[in-house]
Amino acid sequence: MLRIAGKELFQKEMTPRQLLTTLILPAILIILVVIVAPIIFAFILSVNRAEPRLGGITLEWRGISNYIHYFFQSDQFWSSVRVTIYFTVVSLIIELLAGTVMALALNERFPARGIVRAIVLIPWAVPTVVNARLWEWIFAGSSFGALNGFLQALGFLPQGKNIVWLGFDIPFAGVPLFGDFFSWMGVTRALNMIILADTWKVTPLVIFLLLAGLQQIPGNLYEVASIDGASGWKKFWNVTYPFLAPIYLVILVLRTMELFRVFDIIYILMQYSIRVVGVFTYEVGMKFLRFGKGSALAFLVALIIFAFTMLYIKIFYKEEI
Amino acid sequence: MGNPLIHRRIRKTVVGVLIVLILLWTLLPLIWMALSSVFPYQELISERTGHWLPSKPTFKHYISFFDPTQEISSRFLSSLRNSMIIASTTTVVCLFFGSIAAYAIARIHFKFKRTMVMSLMFIRMLPTITLIIPFFIIVNVIDTALLRLFGVGVHLYDSRSLLTILYTSFTLGFVIWVMRGFFITLPVELEDAARIDGLSRFQTVFRIVLPLASNGLIATGVLAFLLAWDEFILALIFTRTEAAETLPLFIAELGSQYIHDFTQISAAGVIACIPPFLLVLLFQKFIISGLTMGGVKG
Repeated sequence: MLRIAGKELFQKEMTPRQLLTTLILPAILIILVVIVAPIIFAFILSVNRAEPRLGGITLEWRGISNYIHYFFQSDQFWSSVRVTIYFTVVSLIIELLAGTVMALALNERFPARGIVRAIVLIPWAVPTVVNARLWEWIFAGSSFGALNGFLQALGFLPQGKNIVWLGFDIPFAGVPLFGDFFSWMGVTRALNMIILADTWKVTPLVIFLLLAGLQQIPGNLYEVASIDGASGWKKFWNVTYPFLAPIYLVILVLRTMELFRVFDIIYILMQYSIRVVGVFTYEVGMKFLRFGKGSALAFLVALIIFAFTMLYIKIFYKEEI
Repeated sequence: MGNPLIHRRIRKTVVGVLIVLILLWTLLPLIWMALSSVFPYQELISERTGHWLPSKPTFKHYISFFDPTQEISSRFLSSLRNSMIIASTTTVVCLFFGSIAAYAIARIHFKFKRTMVMSLMFIRMLPTITLIIPFFIIVNVIDTALLRLFGVGVHLYDSRSLLTILYTSFTLGFVIWVMRGFFITLPVELEDAARIDGLSRFQTVFRIVLPLASNGLIATGVLAFLLAWDEFILALIFTRTEAAETLPLFIAELGSQYIHDFTQISAAGVIACIPPFLLVLLFQKFIISGLTMGGVKG
């Protein structure tokens, strides 16, 4: 029976509408069950005070007071937003600058270019958890830490002086304006080192997206620019950048989304001591089991990410999607 | 500046230095992880100055992971197996349902297409945590019901099936998104030709379109596998025992409050890197095109 039915389905002439339904329905059903329904449920939770009881939850209608609480009355929420913004912006700047320089270098001619490029992509494939624990070990704050040893061997650190890399010192702590700013943003040395570790893993992705763009630039455009007497910087700005602009937009959107909701690497290395919004939401929702408040937070985070994306598209994107 | 020969030589030197720096930056951490995994523990936790290479390399952690008589091995092997099964199942399921749906979205015009594409993008923006809280409650409720119906032993929590379902939630949308980009670039003419040759619409999809898109399917499949292989937070919340614990969770929890044996952690890290490294090195070209599709064509 089933085989005949399958064969009929295969050979029967369908209208485009029937074909559409057959192909798209399974995916829509899956998405409804595993994404849409949970999101609606999460929204219901977010307008309630929801707490666990045996085999279920208790709901108590709260309206939008959960949202209002975080948005207007919670210092913790805003300090977690600040530290997440610092993490996102600094990571983005480093990834874009380093990514551009590295992509331009890898786009030149040099021996064994294929092999070098293959190697450069590798950190991107390192699982996040492994990356976190690898750098935890490199940053080890005692005399056996690799970074301490490396800097001492190069003479950047005096022998026997070991820095606790994943510590809570505030950068520029003594400097008047800078120190105050960093402490207000919630910046610590640990946060900066985590940015470094995360950048190591993600920059290859940026490099390869940019390389794909660089390869579309016809070589003779540079010759024309040279004949016109353009300098290196002018060439980059007038010839290279226009080709890369759409890719920069994609990188900005994708990376902002990923960076703003960062959780894994920070939770594994610092648990709850660096409260980016992802960690804060997890703490409220899953550690203290305040499902209503946690859901409201999660939607606020989604809203911020959405606002960022719209902003980018408004600024950079001129064409239709 | 006037002399082009000098100019070219400067450029070559700068590029050369940059390439060396890039390689060092990329490779040193990885080499350190590989070295750490074969260090004897006592040597690894001594002063770093002058101790960059193990005097007597030991593979004892690799052996202990795979030797069934050792205590750690059963937890390690089951987490490796769980990761393999969950990541592959998620990939196959999402690739199949996702790619046919993506084809329909790319080719057939329908009323709410734009809304649907936009909502796919919106779903990608949601932090995983948005879904975790409702999932947690739903699983709890279902498990209570299952307990009443079937007694102890039948449950969703801490099972591979549950993780596969949850992983599908963030992988399926991604697959549809990237595959849609691939299908848009395929010429329609080939499909028209197949139709003239007497193939039904449905046959055209499976005999002509999907084989033509095989590059895209490989790229998307690899990316989906990597996504699932990498996942941490869902495994952290929804597993508790060897029945479903994944490799990332195993690695994250290695060591205790007092001792972090980084020789052991490094060895586990090296093993967890092998499948993704192989995939990336084998399918590099496909992956790059998949990434640019996923981004640029959106």
